[in-house]
Amino acid sequence: MELVQILRSVELFQGLSAPQFERLASLGQRLSFGTDEEVFHQGSVGDRMYVIVGGQVEIHFDQAGVPPLYLGSGQIVGEMALLDQGTRSATVISVADDTEVYSITNTDLMALCQQDTAIGFILMRNMALDLSFKLRVKNLGPTTTG
Amino acid sequence: MIYKVSYVVIGGDYPGGIKNEYERPEPGDVVQIGRVKFRVMEVHEIIPPRDDFQFLHATVKPLHDVAAGETAKPAGKDKLSD
Repeated sequence: MELVQILRSVELFQGLSAPQFERLASLGQRLSFGTDEEVFHQGSVGDRMYVIVGGQVEIHFDQAGVPPLYLGSGQIVGEMALLDQGTRSATVISVADDTEVYSITNTDLMALCQQDTAIGFILMRNMALDLSFKLRVKNLGPTTTG
Repeated sequence: MIYKVSYVVIGGDYPGGIKNEYERPEPGDVVQIGRVKFRVMEVHEIIPPRDDFQFLHATVKPLHDVAAGETAKPAGKDKLSD
């Protein structure tokens, strides 16, 4: 499937026009992971964010008593480090043989947002909405976290 | 329409999950979260729909718990991992 088609089904990119999609798609790269392959590690420097295109990943927290969270297609990971410049808050591991992600560096994404502030507004709004969704989910049940 | 679904496990130490579905999950469906399969028990809307998205909260139980005698729709669709 064309990358632009895939990105159109991702909530983070809702509201972007066709030319804006094209610009965004040209910045990132598609990566594949097998079962138990690590995408990134808790505590490491976060220089990029990821959109899960297919498969499933486990969000694993080193803290005792914090259960993992599983994210599937259309979900984003690594956006917190992009926003607050902190280190990775969790370890992300592929739990499927066909996990595919779309990766975009913080530098490229922030440059795009500054060059085209309309894109910047949409992405930052959607990122805030996603974090809000995860917070609501966390508040709904004891076995989920975000 | 794309359904952004938060799956929350009832009881036990199982993790939950979030994923986009192209069909609305219904009670009785089977979903795979990580390495474990679960039966969907209830589905609720978390927040109003926006653009092409609906935002849902689904409670699920491990299949073996359901099989042990709890109520479930017997012919649920399989919604396995993407």
